[in-house]
Amino acid sequence: MEEARRRIQGGSGVSAVAGVAAEKKDPRARRITALLVAPGIIWMVLFLVVPMLMMVYVSFWTQKTFTIEPTLTLNSWIAFFSSETYFGALLRTIRIWLIVLAATFFLGYPTALFIGLFIKNKTIQTIVLVLCVVPFWTSFLIRVLAWRPMLGKEGAVNIVLQKIGLISQPIEVLLFTEFSVVIGMTQIYVVFMVGPIAFMLSRIDPSLIEAARDLGASTWRIFRTIIFPLSLPGVVVGAIFVSVMVLGEFATSAALSGRKVNLLGNIIVTQVGSLKWAFAAVVGVMLTAVMAIVVAALLRLADLRKEL
Amino acid sequence: MTTILDVKNVTKLYDGEVALDGLSVELQVNEYLSLLGPSGSGKSTLLRVIAGFEMSDAGDIHLAGESVAGVPAHKRGIGFVSQGFALFPHISVFDNVAFGLRHREDDPVRDEGDVARRVNEMLDLVGLADLGDRGINQISGGQKQRVALARTLVADPKIILLDEPLGALDANLRARMRIELRRIRQQLGITFMHVTGNEQEALAMGDRVAVLDNGRLAQVADPDTVYNQPASARVARFLNCYNMFEGRAGDDKQFCVGDASFPYPSPQDASIGPGTYCVRFDKIRVAPATAAPRPGEAGVRATFITSEYSGPSITYFFEGQGNKVLEVEYHLSHRQPEEFSPGSEYSLLWSPGDALVYS
Repeated sequence: MEEARRRIQGGSGVSAVAGVAAEKKDPRARRITALLVAPGIIWMVLFLVVPMLMMVYVSFWTQKTFTIEPTLTLNSWIAFFSSETYFGALLRTIRIWLIVLAATFFLGYPTALFIGLFIKNKTIQTIVLVLCVVPFWTSFLIRVLAWRPMLGKEGAVNIVLQKIGLISQPIEVLLFTEFSVVIGMTQIYVVFMVGPIAFMLSRIDPSLIEAARDLGASTWRIFRTIIFPLSLPGVVVGAIFVSVMVLGEFATSAALSGRKVNLLGNIIVTQVGSLKWAFAAVVGVMLTAVMAIVVAALLRLADLRKEL
Repeated sequence: MTTILDVKNVTKLYDGEVALDGLSVELQVNEYLSLLGPSGSGKSTLLRVIAGFEMSDAGDIHLAGESVAGVPAHKRGIGFVSQGFALFPHISVFDNVAFGLRHREDDPVRDEGDVARRVNEMLDLVGLADLGDRGINQISGGQKQRVALARTLVADPKIILLDEPLGALDANLRARMRIELRRIRQQLGITFMHVTGNEQEALAMGDRVAVLDNGRLAQVADPDTVYNQPASARVARFLNCYNMFEGRAGDDKQFCVGDASFPYPSPQDASIGPGTYCVRFDKIRVAPATAAPRPGEAGVRATFITSEYSGPSITYFFEGQGNKVLEVEYHLSHRQPEEFSPGSEYSLLWSPGDALVYS
């Protein structure tokens, strides 16, 4: 997931520089541009393009019990698509990603709206945004595992609900299900949705909203026609952050599902653990392809270059 | 003449600071009132209170005879063009102008054909007929100004409030927009109230000019009166075309400034002081230090610093007593430019009848 994020940032950076070069016809300037771009390109080729091509290549190698051999075969790919477990994991990954994406958006947007638009003071705005990041001061594992005493059969949620008298039996599906995985992921990743949206919202000139109101538009109209469209680039950036991280997730699902919910990330971990490199490569290629499609689709929603 | 807007004793406080101090002003139908004031004089606050973006702490505002207390901004029938134009950057020029018609709560125009007709009519009026499809970032500052105006005009407001509408434009565009604004207004017969910190703009645009000072109106009059007979020394200072001398009444029916003394403009002014003696830049004649003043002329000695040529006129800068900068303006259609040598002393002379004295 790190790789994919770097690719997005690196990719737009390179094209921006190339755009400047195209404008200037002066050969000297062009040489300097090439010189400045070279280290970035070399880096990306060595550490991103080549490894990715390697991964595609390795996915066609032949798997022996503990080794792989460079004899090309489709066996690993056939195994992936014919197995209920593995193909099911792909579908599950996509389903959980969509649910978490929706949850982070519907939780994150109102939060961002409050921070970016309703808090006028820039200092307080920054303080509140930093407060959102406070959970990150504890380690990832602790944050995820903390959900166990919350959601467990004898966890906080069940105890409270029982004391109030809303339920007589503890709800068992809270933990070690897809539900708990979604809860855990949403809590961890929602801040990546809040940040970019709050940033875009705080850049909206208050006089625009005033003007819209003076022209007679209702609050809901103003939100729909002015505020939301202007914050859309923030939504897209937030969605890319969340998507790339959720699609590559394996730790949250391992810790909160009792290993019952296997995502593509979990499969890669187990396959690599049992030295099934070729098969792990197939899953890796699939995961990368899904991410590429998702990111490309999200980028079509808003022209991010205009915002730079 | 009927009064369309009647502002009575409006007071507005910000954190205990007085922004508007019992201000009253009336606007007639189809009048163009320009409101001149330095920054911090409360001029933008007044507009915002009239528009309904801010609530006044005391006083009444009546629009066409009815109180607007408690009426929200968009139901007042007042158009407001803000300083930065506040155009919606993500939609086209056409959609910006159409915004009010399509999206207003009360009686939105549902028929797109009707919207198109009215928007195009308005774009035509402001001279942007071909630019409807452009994005806001693809048009110039002057064009943005016109879009902002068209967006407000299309809703047929009774009054339009303009908050420093020409402030963001360069001098050339300013002059052209001034003419445009006049033409549009004559065509539509709408009442305009125009806030500005620029004295030339205020004088050029307004049927009447209101000068705002510390949250109060210092003077409301036609431009000629404001320019030639400012009501107070502070008004004269805002006009930025008077040399001002602080001084006191002398013994010999003269106004004393330091060790110089000037005759009073007229006998009834005599004995005013301590006060301010004002001489307009273009009423002064520069003579060599040795030349004798003509009979009855008043004058001071000053050292020439530099000059500034601006086409139809030239401004000479002198340094008088106490490092005071004095300005002399020659309108070149009446006078020949003169060469003065920097650092030399000259006499600045005027006839006392052209001066003004305020206590």
